[in-house]
Amino acid sequence: MTMTHAPRAVINQITISNEEFAKFCEFFYRKTGINYHQSKKYYVDRRIIDRMNKTNSENFRDYFTFIRFQGSGEELQFLVNAMTVNETYFFREDYQFEALVKSMLPNLARTRRATKPIKIWSVPCSSGEEPYSIAINILEKWDQADQWDIEIYASDIDSKILAEARAGLFGARSLARVPPALLSRYFVSTGEGSYRICDELRGSIDFSLINIVDPMQTRKYTDIDIIFCRNLLIYFDDIARREAVEMFYETMSPGGYICLGHSESMSRMTSLFVPRKFGDTIVYQKPEE
Amino acid sequence: MTLFLKPRTIATAARILVIDDGITMRLFYRTVLEAAGFVVEEATNGLEGYEKVLARPFDLLIVDINMPKMDGLSMLRAIRRDGATMGVPAVTISTESKDSDTLKAYQAGANYYLVKPVTPETLVEVAHLMAGVPA
Amino acid sequence: MGLVKGNVPDDGLGRDPAVCPLQPKLLADLASDDPGPRRAAARALAAYPEAATALCNRLEIEPAPSVRAMILTTLIKIQNPAIAARLAALLRSDDVPLRTAVIEALQEMPDSAALHLRTLLNDPDSDVRIFAVNILGALRHADVPGWLAELIREEPHINVCAAAVDALAEIGDSEALADLDTLRARFASETFMSFAIDTATRRIRGQ
Repeated sequence: MTMTHAPRAVINQITISNEEFAKFCEFFYRKTGINYHQSKKYYVDRRIIDRMNKTNSENFRDYFTFIRFQGSGEELQFLVNAMTVNETYFFREDYQFEALVKSMLPNLARTRRATKPIKIWSVPCSSGEEPYSIAINILEKWDQADQWDIEIYASDIDSKILAEARAGLFGARSLARVPPALLSRYFVSTGEGSYRICDELRGSIDFSLINIVDPMQTRKYTDIDIIFCRNLLIYFDDIARREAVEMFYETMSPGGYICLGHSESMSRMTSLFVPRKFGDTIVYQKPEE
Repeated sequence: MTLFLKPRTIATAARILVIDDGITMRLFYRTVLEAAGFVVEEATNGLEGYEKVLARPFDLLIVDINMPKMDGLSMLRAIRRDGATMGVPAVTISTESKDSDTLKAYQAGANYYLVKPVTPETLVEVAHLMAGVPA
Repeated sequence: MGLVKGNVPDDGLGRDPAVCPLQPKLLADLASDDPGPRRAAARALAAYPEAATALCNRLEIEPAPSVRAMILTTLIKIQNPAIAARLAALLRSDDVPLRTAVIEALQEMPDSAALHLRTLLNDPDSDVRIFAVNILGALRHADVPGWLAELIREEPHINVCAAAVDALAEIGDSEALADLDTLRARFASETFMSFAIDTATRRIRGQ
């Protein structure tokens, strides 16, 4: 939209008109749930044009036909990767952690006996920022934390990143949003701006190497109360996404919650769960049977 | 789009959520209703519609019936069950014209039932009537 | 803290069907009073294409949305023309959520669904024809734009044509433009149809 940028979106004479952009956005939204406003046209155009060059597409129409009709859906996945930046850092999307300690956990605590542990699963946990953020938020902000056994499971498909999560060593970029008081309470400085998460927290999280599309590997997860599955399912094709959400449904307790990334919505995937609004965020609840 | 029609002032503009899986259908409703001064948002299926209704209040829902993920009738039932959203007026607009279809829509919580295709005049008239803003 | 211990349920998930033949218990579980075993059976039966008929039979009477969803996922994984035929018959159901779920399942088995589309597109019920257009529009098949253009030449019902125009707005090519113009003339008094055709034409031209 901004005039200063418009000419730079013209690479190799490829341009994308407003109508083509609208058509693309509707399709992309239906497939991924990611919604782009006209003001993002320059950002989107640049990435589409880059993929067009890599696939030798002569014009937008050819490329759109390619992603629309490709049986494997592979090019759409490349495009999703190009459009999304997957960063992880402590307290990312922390309005969901607010909802966790202010709404989800208190709701669960009201309707069950304290003899049963509360189980939380972070998937994919990547280098560990998410499960540790969950643990810190619970300890800091849920006043009933002492009265419950809380089990935090964390899994990822990538063994290298999982080793990093277990090691719990983080740099300045990961820690930018951690207030100094929490830094000194839960981390130990290792010098040069790096910190290691304290042993108590490290020992409180059950890390596992898991491929969630393999039913054998997910069978150890039962009666899960809260799942954090952020920015993963957008990378799955239709059938894998269907199987993944159904697997989640089966691992969860009735009344349990599932949290997705901020640009994701269950409304593109399944009606198995009921949307619930907590503060500024929507999470999804498994209905009681 | 609204140049030749005087839009309602922002302060009184009623907010309408259009829930339909048809691209051209949503654009048609939006164009007609915005020209009549309404503020329009869109949802592409019933579940997305339900999420939007939970997120912020609307003065009127325009609801298709046959939609993927969650159909319009299931969406209306969910909205009518939820204390926070139960009062919002809703018109269903569907291709089905049998008496039994109409009855099912009213039972699910529709306040009015129209059969596709609707004319712009009917749409605006019903919107004025149902959104609680005088024409 | 720690791993959940205990007996892993013997649900057949992940079994190699060549080593482990279909157990009658799985089929019996499909009719369990409790939806939990029905869901587990529906998922486990994905390894047994010979269970497709039993799954289709169950789908027709299954009341729980979660079990329906898992039966349909398994049918999508097994997919064959016989399954598509059973599902296509359900488009006539009065059960709106079931019909909706079936349309989505058929969209996910393009090769099997395509075989039945011609019959569905000629169904006497205009709503069934609309569903057929919805399925057709979502198929990942390069011939679809041509079929849609052909459809709007002959189809008498305005709402079926409107569904086709909607699909053409996304996937139509320049070959559809003349047919869209003819359709506009056929429904000249319908504001919506003119609007939809204008939109589709603009999208196809990319202007």
